[in-house]
Amino acid sequence: MDFVSGYKGVVGRVFGNDNATSNEDSYVERLLDRINNGTKAEDRRMALVELQSVVAENHSAQLAFGAMGLPVLLSVLKDERDDVEMVRGALETLVSSLTPLNHAKMAKIEVEPSKMNADLLSREVDNISLLLSLLAEDDFYVRYYTLQVLTALLTNSLSRLQESILAIPRGITRLMDMLMDREVIRNEALLLLTYLTREAEEIQKIVVFEGAFEKIFTIMKEEGGSDGGVVVQDCLQLLNNILRNNTSNQTLLRETLGFDPVVSLLKLRGVSYSFTQQKTINLVSTLETVNLLIASGPQAESGKDTNCMTNKTVLVQRKVLDHLLMLGVESQWAPVTVRCAALHCIGDLIARHPKNVDELASKVLGEEPQVELALNSILRIILRTSSLQEFVNADYVFKNFCENNPDGQRLLASTLTPQPQSMAHAPLEDDVNMSFGSMLLHGLTMSESDGDLEICARAASVLSHMLKDNAQCKEKAIKVELGATMQSMGTPEPLMHRMVKYLAVSFSMESKDGKSSGKADLYIQEMILKLLIIWLVDCPTAVECFLDARPHLTYLLELLSNQSATVCTRGLAAVLLGECVLYNKCIESGKDVYGIVDAISQKSGLTSYFLKFDEMQRNFLFSSKKLSGQHKPLTRSNGASMADIEDEEDDVSMSENRNDNEEHPILVSLFDSGFVALVGSLEANIRERFVDVYSNPKAKVAVVPAELERRSGETDGDYIKRLKSFVEKQCSEIQDLLSRNASLAEDMAKTGTRSEQKTSGPSERVQVETYRREVRAASQRLEMLKNENAKLENDVSMYQNLASKMESELKSLSDAYCSLEQANSQLDKEAKSLRSGGVTSYPDIEAIKEEVREEAQKESEAELNDLLVCLGQEQSKVERLTARLLELGEDVDKLLEGVGDDTGLPGDDDDDDDEDEEED
Amino acid sequence: MSYAYLFKYIIIGDTGVGKSCLLLQFTDKRFQPVHDLTIGVEFGARMITIDNKPIKLQIWDTAGQESFRSITRSYYRGAAGALLVYDITRRETFNHLASWLEDARQHANANMTIMLIGNKCDLAHRRAVSTEEGEQFAKEHGLIFMECSAKTAQNVEEAFIKTAATIYKKIQDGVFDVSNESYGIKVGYGGIQGNATGRDASTSQSGACCG
Repeated sequence: MDFVSGYKGVVGRVFGNDNATSNEDSYVERLLDRINNGTKAEDRRMALVELQSVVAENHSAQLAFGAMGLPVLLSVLKDERDDVEMVRGALETLVSSLTPLNHAKMAKIEVEPSKMNADLLSREVDNISLLLSLLAEDDFYVRYYTLQVLTALLTNSLSRLQESILAIPRGITRLMDMLMDREVIRNEALLLLTYLTREAEEIQKIVVFEGAFEKIFTIMKEEGGSDGGVVVQDCLQLLNNILRNNTSNQTLLRETLGFDPVVSLLKLRGVSYSFTQQKTINLVSTLETVNLLIASGPQAESGKDTNCMTNKTVLVQRKVLDHLLMLGVESQWAPVTVRCAALHCIGDLIARHPKNVDELASKVLGEEPQVELALNSILRIILRTSSLQEFVNADYVFKNFCENNPDGQRLLASTLTPQPQSMAHAPLEDDVNMSFGSMLLHGLTMSESDGDLEICARAASVLSHMLKDNAQCKEKAIKVELGATMQSMGTPEPLMHRMVKYLAVSFSMESKDGKSSGKADLYIQEMILKLLIIWLVDCPTAVECFLDARPHLTYLLELLSNQSATVCTRGLAAVLLGECVLYNKCIESGKDVYGIVDAISQKSGLTSYFLKFDEMQRNFLFSSKKLSGQHKPLTRSNGASMADIEDEEDDVSMSENRNDNEEHPILVSLFDSGFVALVGSLEANIRERFVDVYSNPKAKVAVVPAELERRSGETDGDYIKRLKSFVEKQCSEIQDLLSRNASLAEDMAKTGTRSEQKTSGPSERVQVETYRREVRAASQRLEMLKNENAKLENDVSMYQNLASKMESELKSLSDAYCSLEQANSQLDKEAKSLRSGGVTSYPDIEAIKEEVREEAQKESEAELNDLLVCLGQEQSKVERLTARLLELGEDVDKLLEGVGDDTGLPGDDDDDDDEDEEED
Repeated sequence: MSYAYLFKYIIIGDTGVGKSCLLLQFTDKRFQPVHDLTIGVEFGARMITIDNKPIKLQIWDTAGQESFRSITRSYYRGAAGALLVYDITRRETFNHLASWLEDARQHANANMTIMLIGNKCDLAHRRAVSTEEGEQFAKEHGLIFMECSAKTAQNVEEAFIKTAATIYKKIQDGVFDVSNESYGIKVGYGGIQGNATGRDASTSQSGACCG
């Protein structure tokens, strides 16, 4: 097949020189050959079993299988459907080949064979279609393994498989049928469908067309609803996948089954204080479902928005609020994650939906004698909870409740009456019978005694929602007067003044305790400032009330230049000051527009005043608003949702996890986009107003030409007096203007002198800062290099020492060698002279000589003996020959005469020789 | 939400013949002169009454463009009824009917009820396909036929209801095995015995699941 050759190239590259691999290769190849060409069915099955086990365990076998095995097994699946055992084995082998091996060795290898195999298998639509057709088989394991193969493929190449399955007629229908199969298959199918429907709108719709909703809800019901196990969780994952951003499917659910099945999942049955982890996950997933139905996306398309509005209406009609209140407010045993999610859902349900807002306002919780408005209970959560997350979510409810709901705001504000003195210091537990407003005021002020202003800040946040854009409520709140407490003896003081006091207290507390006086301090000042800013918007009475106490202005001006305050706090203080100018209708000198403007320009200077705005706007809270404004992405996989829960439960770690700007994370959620926009528009207006103030000074003295004329009947003296007083007035005004002019000039001058660093302001400072940091880094690097250098020098000298030592050693060694050589040559010479000097010197030479002589003697003796023997034989020969000669008549003596003379040798031998010669 | 039967419909036909407008007119009783091109498939639902029985219609409006054919085919098999729509002012949409029908016959179940609809009959002055031709085609292929206008709502109700009535009759005649949901028909709670008892049955049912 075509793809095999392509694949081999990759294999070659990855495993070029691995010898072990080639063993596995050939082993797998042999097995495949047996499967492919074997004749005995039993043998082929055996081979398949072997192949499966080796592929399941061995990494290179897995790889080798991918290169060669797929066509073989696919042909088994295609052509041998009748042999269930072979089909089963082939599928099981495929599953193994797609399962990643958790091997230590894996880390070194870049390409995971299971992924490559998945890639190969999913490349052909025909393969997928073949697999889908196997789902119709009767054998349980065939269907089971097939689903596993498909799920493995989906996890590896999601979009390709989604496309393939879409292209196969009835593909999704087959998969959906598996939901009605027996339990094991059904659970596998659930997982598979969850993957399949991920971010694939068309598949989501087809799945729904095939009756997914009915099936999912049936399964969940069978499994025990939210009390069920992980299968319910899988169902909810699938449900959320097919509803997410899918208006069509949401409509279908609403129009056919309705939302009842979803709502009933939120219903707590039986013992509601046992929340297992699984149940928590199930409930959070269901709350996510609700959230998917009601959350309008970031890009609010009109059609989508009407859809989500309808969803909100229907959900509330189906009594979802009751269940949400139960989970989020009433059930003390619910985990904080569930409570937070439920509260957030309530907030979303009432957002921009007047009917639902009213519905919530009318909700009452508790048993008959002890009933309480749901809103009061939610307020109590805000005041009491130890979880910041819970506070944020409960606050979100109030924010959405008050937005565009003046009647609701009025309703809440109408109860703003302080409790009688006796109740003022009552513990929070006694607040059940308090009205909403009293409870809120109580919360605002109760923390004063114990020095913890966190509760106050939270209450301030709620109050700011109540006052926002509502003149009536603002007026009402201005009139609220608090009784004298221990600290502030004397006359009752307005609520607003108390808030400013707390603002000041929170700063003094911070500076007293040092930096880390607690997690709450980081947002207390911002919260109170936010309240004041919202309060003063478009409300001259509030401005007047604020300015009634002269120290307030001074305090704000100090805050402006307080270096220990955060950028945000200073910026907000600047906004508040600006509001005092912008909405000022006072006429009293010092409190009027000019008084404030003068104070600002004298104390702080206009340039540095406006700089505070710039700095704040650059802060991440304002600049990156769009990112943080969205709710965090919803989780899909089980693992992720688990991690999520842990995250949210761990509030402490969250609050400690401050970001670079050292802003409290809570601020991100409390400074919602509405407030950011408000600050932005306020800033523009404030700038405009300042310019206005300076360009059009209001004349205290109206110059009416007619008045300068002498009136009829006026005496000279009167006329002069009148003119004189007029001139005096004008003179003083000119004085005023001159002094203002002087301060402006001074400011200008200051700006001028500082222009080099300051004109373009913070951006340059930021640059300077970065330069400084760079310089610091560079000097650090330099220091490091120096150190290194010194170390190197050290090393060098050490090595030098070492070298000289070595040298001297070498020298002594060479000396030693020289002397050795000399000795050697001497010895050599000696040896030579000895050799030339001969043997004399050897003492045993005599002995040797003796020995040699003896030996020679012995030898000659032996020779002599031999000769003697020979002689004897010759003698006898001579005798016999003599006798013969005598017989023959010869005269022996005569014959022998010559012999003796010739030879000169003694005796008998000569005779013999002669005789021999004679005989020849 | 109780119903005696639930029928699944699909609406098919060339792009621009007014499928989505027909659905919108039927479900929301309004007409949208400029409609976005349908991507894939859109859903709509409405309750109707036939023979005094409440019947829920689930309608899938498909994209007419060729590129979506493979997706829309997934909906054929599970549908009880199909509205095959052409535009009486555009001849080519009528000419393509045969290929749509072939598609339907190939992918749908054999008992699917098909209603042929000549849409835009309010534009009589631009008519390019005569009523007789439509009737003739329907007769030849065993379809129900109707001309209607999504703009004026003329015959729109009738088209959907007549299709439902045909399916209902087939059920009465025992053509379908209604327990098998793959025909696009689902039996609701107690609707078969008649309306009043049907409601009783459904309330007792919901009472049971609350308790």
